[in-house]
Amino acid sequence: MRLPELKSEYIWAVMMIFFLIPAIHPIGLPFPMDPVTYEVYNIIESLPEGSIVVMGGGGVFAFDLESSAGMIAMIKQMARKGLRLVTCPVWTEAPQFHKYVIDAARVDKDKYGGPWEYGVDYVLLPYMPGGDMVVFDSFLKDVHATVSVDLAGTPIDELPLMQDLHDYHDIALWICPHWGFVSVIRIVAAQYGITCISPAQSTAYAFFSPFMEAYPGKVYMLNGYVGGAQYEALVGIKGLGHKVMDSYAFASTLIVLFIVLGNITMLSRMGGEEE
Amino acid sequence: MSTTLAYIRAYIGRIVVVVCCLGILAGYYFTSPTVGGVSDELYTWNMCISSFTLFVGLITIFSRYGRSIINRDTNWPFHLYCLVLIIIWIPFGFHYGIYADLYQTAYLSTKITLHIAILGLLIFFMTSALYRTFRIRSLRTAVLTFLAVVMIFLNAPYLRSYFPTAGDIAYWLLNNPQMSGARAMVLCGGIGGIILGIRILLGHEKGALRVTGGM
Repeated sequence: MRLPELKSEYIWAVMMIFFLIPAIHPIGLPFPMDPVTYEVYNIIESLPEGSIVVMGGGGVFAFDLESSAGMIAMIKQMARKGLRLVTCPVWTEAPQFHKYVIDAARVDKDKYGGPWEYGVDYVLLPYMPGGDMVVFDSFLKDVHATVSVDLAGTPIDELPLMQDLHDYHDIALWICPHWGFVSVIRIVAAQYGITCISPAQSTAYAFFSPFMEAYPGKVYMLNGYVGGAQYEALVGIKGLGHKVMDSYAFASTLIVLFIVLGNITMLSRMGGEEE
Repeated sequence: MSTTLAYIRAYIGRIVVVVCCLGILAGYYFTSPTVGGVSDELYTWNMCISSFTLFVGLITIFSRYGRSIINRDTNWPFHLYCLVLIIIWIPFGFHYGIYADLYQTAYLSTKITLHIAILGLLIFFMTSALYRTFRIRSLRTAVLTFLAVVMIFLNAPYLRSYFPTAGDIAYWLLNNPQMSGARAMVLCGGIGGIILGIRILLGHEKGALRVTGGM
């Protein structure tokens, strides 16, 4: 029997249905935990209260949204632990992304009644042009010489948090929720020895995860929405990672099934040709 | 332009590039405060020039798209649409501030949402493409299909819980063949970049810095 070739429209329709079903009725499929996710959680958990963490890097907002699942959970954990956060955006859309994840974590005292006060516990810095590695190097050498105002145009010398941040000695951890993690590894981890974590999108993870082997104990990555969902589970929230996990599982399974079906179709048609 | 002026212009360009390159490189190899000061100053200039290029980009878009609209070139309606959006968004950003909550909401609701939608469409095209192309007709396609399926398993937690070995295979592939291939590419690119840099500094490369080229 010769199986017919499926039209693309039918495949798209099936995909759409299997995307929408879990979005409307979440099933809560289980997912395994990766050891790296535990390690990252414990690194942040072990930082002393008041430590300064930098969220820095560059990427395109739409791509980086996948990183936001893990990043938002990390921000919640940092706020709960009493850590402090400063941003270092080096691509034009990064400041908006940083503002988005901090807003989405709902940790601001004035806006959401959270534990973080702007200027004291976290500072949003503006886009710093000049190229990733150049800016990182300059930022780590002398923060105040690299940037002089925050997002709102307030001189950073007037912000209490920035008076404790002068150079790389004051930074306990660097988190990069962006595609451009390699520049961070080359400068922040390799040159200045600061531990770097990236809640990465899954494509970036596939490209850059070998750096974890190259810099053991210095570079850590979470794998896309899967890693985000794992981190959310550790922090005790159900955010974007959990929401997309069912769709993710269905889509991945369907892709494998369609590959198998394509091969069965090919075999059936080969048989038909011989007849 | 006379030949003399052309030579002077080209030499000034080359001298600027040589001085800046050596100034930055010296900052890496010498600990002298003077050398460090020069290097830091050049970094600052680099940031200023990079900021200015954004402004130049805006002027270039207006110039090119404006010409396209006047001449009714192909796709001129899209160019018009782009310019209208820029004209609306710039005063909006100036008035409210580009990091204001209102601007952020508008930005997320339009540009980012549309961009995410475009990216989301890829999964549909990818699935139908995989259905047609990943057909095992030879050893090569078998290997390709196997590797693709293993990587899908890595990102599919539900499948991986049933086939945990697939995750181990995927990590091995990433950490060994993928890393060695990627490193080879980076090394080749790095060595190529050094050679290109030397050729540019010595004036052997065609382009703006070649004194006798393109005149």
